[in-house]
Amino acid sequence: MDELYLENIDEFVNDHNKIVTYKWLSLTLGVHVNTAKQMLYHYLENKRKESSPELHATYLVSGKLVDKGQTCHKVSVVREDQLEDFKSKMNLIVSVHIYSVQKALLKDSSPLYNVDYDALKDNLKNCSRYSAIQCSKAVPMSPVELQQARETERAPASAPESQKLGVSSGSSVASKPSAKTQKGIVAMFAKQPTPKNQESSKPEQREESPMLEVPPNKQASKTNSVENFFGKKPDKPLKEVQSSAAVGQRGQSSPPVEKQEPAAVEPQKDTKTDSRSKSKRIEASDSEEEKMEKKKRRRIKRPEPDSSDEDVIPDSPQPLETREPSPLKKEATVQLSQGNSETKIRKRRRVLKPRVFLDEEGCMVTEKEYVSESYSETEDDVPAPKNAPRDAKAKLPSSSKEEVKKSQKKSSSSSHKGTKQASITGFFQKK
Amino acid sequence: MFSDLSAQKEGSSLLCRPDSEDQGPVFERTSMAYSPCSERYSVGERSFNRQYAHIYAARLMQMRPLLSERAQKKWGSDVVIKKLCDLETGVQCCIVGTLFKRMDLQPSILREISEEHNLLPQPARVKYISDADELILEDELQRIKLEGKINRDKCVTGSVVAIYGVEKNDGKFTVEDFCVADLPPQTPKPALNSDRFVLLVSGLGLGSSRADSMLELQLLVDMVTGQLGDKGEQREAATISRVLLAGNLLSQHIQDKEASTKAKYLTKKTQAGSVEAIRLVDEILLQLVASVPVDVMPGQYDPTNYILPQQPLHKCMFPLSSIYPTLQLSSNPYEATIEGVRFLGTSGQNVCDIQRYSSMDNHLEILEETLRLRHLAPTAPDTLGCYPFYLKDPFILEECPHVYFSGNAPAFDSKLIKGPDGQEVLLVTIPEFSSTQKACLVNLRTLQCEPVCFSAFSAADEDEESGMNVSH
Repeated sequence: MDELYLENIDEFVNDHNKIVTYKWLSLTLGVHVNTAKQMLYHYLENKRKESSPELHATYLVSGKLVDKGQTCHKVSVVREDQLEDFKSKMNLIVSVHIYSVQKALLKDSSPLYNVDYDALKDNLKNCSRYSAIQCSKAVPMSPVELQQARETERAPASAPESQKLGVSSGSSVASKPSAKTQKGIVAMFAKQPTPKNQESSKPEQREESPMLEVPPNKQASKTNSVENFFGKKPDKPLKEVQSSAAVGQRGQSSPPVEKQEPAAVEPQKDTKTDSRSKSKRIEASDSEEEKMEKKKRRRIKRPEPDSSDEDVIPDSPQPLETREPSPLKKEATVQLSQGNSETKIRKRRRVLKPRVFLDEEGCMVTEKEYVSESYSETEDDVPAPKNAPRDAKAKLPSSSKEEVKKSQKKSSSSSHKGTKQASITGFFQKK
Repeated sequence: MFSDLSAQKEGSSLLCRPDSEDQGPVFERTSMAYSPCSERYSVGERSFNRQYAHIYAARLMQMRPLLSERAQKKWGSDVVIKKLCDLETGVQCCIVGTLFKRMDLQPSILREISEEHNLLPQPARVKYISDADELILEDELQRIKLEGKINRDKCVTGSVVAIYGVEKNDGKFTVEDFCVADLPPQTPKPALNSDRFVLLVSGLGLGSSRADSMLELQLLVDMVTGQLGDKGEQREAATISRVLLAGNLLSQHIQDKEASTKAKYLTKKTQAGSVEAIRLVDEILLQLVASVPVDVMPGQYDPTNYILPQQPLHKCMFPLSSIYPTLQLSSNPYEATIEGVRFLGTSGQNVCDIQRYSSMDNHLEILEETLRLRHLAPTAPDTLGCYPFYLKDPFILEECPHVYFSGNAPAFDSKLIKGPDGQEVLLVTIPEFSSTQKACLVNLRTLQCEPVCFSAFSAADEDEESGMNVSH
């Protein structure tokens, strides 16, 4: 072995005035720990021969010590001047090697820790690389494996729950396949007019289940959420009259906190429906704004609400715990629907709301997020999202069968999702 | 044990020049079959609106057949086992019931409120027992005061026992003898053909203001991960096939008592001390899990639920180490089978609580007592926080462990006890690392246990030594 390392160590010790521990040296030079120990010894030996300015060393001694009848394995770091003394106290010496070399005489051993700690910090990812023990099992999991591990971990727990509650829920951060997303964006424009129709039709649906509360907004795919706002409404009522009715209910009770009407989970497969969707008229007028808003929304890397599909679950409007002060309610009002058949002006605004959900690992997370809600200036206390049910009725004759099928499909996909994430609403449900 | 094995020298010392070819040995960590058995300690739906009475009812119901059997073994199969309601004065019989110790000194929130007017600050007590304590036996319907041959101070509330004696005219029951459920049945331990170790560590106590034992902790990590020592030591360290951290990763001092009383706006920008400490834990864990499987139990001061059973710490607190499959976050109590050897233990809350409410002081003695009572935490839910179970008491031992431990003890202690049916159990009290710098190694083959001490030098040592020299 070339002895360049002697110069290296010399530089570290004398020029940089460093405390050189075997571990630091091993990590710095990339050599096996035992080699590093020997290098330090070799260096110290050479220096002692040269009788150059005095160097101090610390040693690691380990062995058997019988103390008051109790045998123990003792591992110690000792200064050179205490070494022989210490060794004589041990009943059996297992290992002795140099722990560190430095210019100054150490009063206290804590600098030794700090030196190692700094080296370790820089090499956290492969801190055992040069050690004498390897563990074949200790291989970091890839993100995919991690995901799988989490899913299998959670599946048994969350599946029964969602069944029991009849909840379908999405995972909060789950990234959606991009194909779906794109479809969804396409769908967004195609379907966008429909919400406006909703308003004129079907007001009575609201009353159907007055006691129901807001459907949970758990689904939170970022990409998906955008089109949810625009694209999804038409399906919704057909699939889930109840839930939209519930939204209406909710809106009535507390307009400022009202949630964006639950949009359906997957934009997908709707393209056919969309193309035949009667109202293309507003597209031109709105699309620009739409796009802008889309951009805006995109920036917000927060989960957006979505709906459960078939089910209405009582939800609590109150967050369990919020990380941000709650009055931060930002609004962004966007004119959405001028070309409306109705006289009233509907607007959309973005409201910052707390949302509580269980994340993939089953822990409760409260997030502030922007949701878009529809409201009308003229009738603020009238349930804004009633538009959904109306539309439902309007569309029902033409496409109900198709929609039903779709909703079935959807329900299957959503129930699959349900296994991924336990529903927060289950938490609030009365037992 | 460990030292002797490590000392079998095979190569040269490290006090020599590096050999040009020798790149240093690399030992493969011995792996062992591992199966966690902690399901019973996981609390699925958490409903806290139930009363605690159900636990006692469930406990008595589960324990009654066991104790009846024991009583028949001890006092003959013709012994009359009665319920309290069928008790006749002057007739000898056996009763199975739950002990309740009425203690004047036991802190009670109701009394504090009622005496609010002239409440004197009470000195913090180490023990809550007094001469005025009364021992009462309860079954499903009734209770009766006990006297006679039963050690009042040693008993704790919540233990299920069988007593033999007679009711006197004054309405008290005179105990002539009593028996406990004793050790549960045990699955025999498979014979191992080589020495394998499990390292038990407890009370790392990171994040305290005095970073005393950091080098010692680093030495521990380095020893396990095969960094320090000669080849022999490294070879033996490779046989440490599991590390179990038994609670209190964080220091008690990290809990900021003022935080809850301070105005929110004052503390808005301050970070809880535990955040930094957990990061430190994560780094320590990362070094360990990259080299050895690690089980992490939460303890009294760790960020998980406070009441027993404590649920595993959450993964997201350990972003660095949780990507390793070798990190196992487990519950407290901990139960697992490692290479056929069954481990059971807690982070020490149950033992500390019994210590406060009984005359027993030695953690090992208390540990043995709980094993004989066949109950991990008899004082829960009376004086020890516990989830309101109602169908089943999960703390009743159904299978006898081979290694039964408790963490955060003031000192290391271990003992091998034998049960009436040939059970063999190693009892271990794991010392708190932050104060003793000790961990312990359990040899799975022989069920021997040995402490491992770590030490470094400090300025204080020297003063002490020089002081001694002067006196000489």
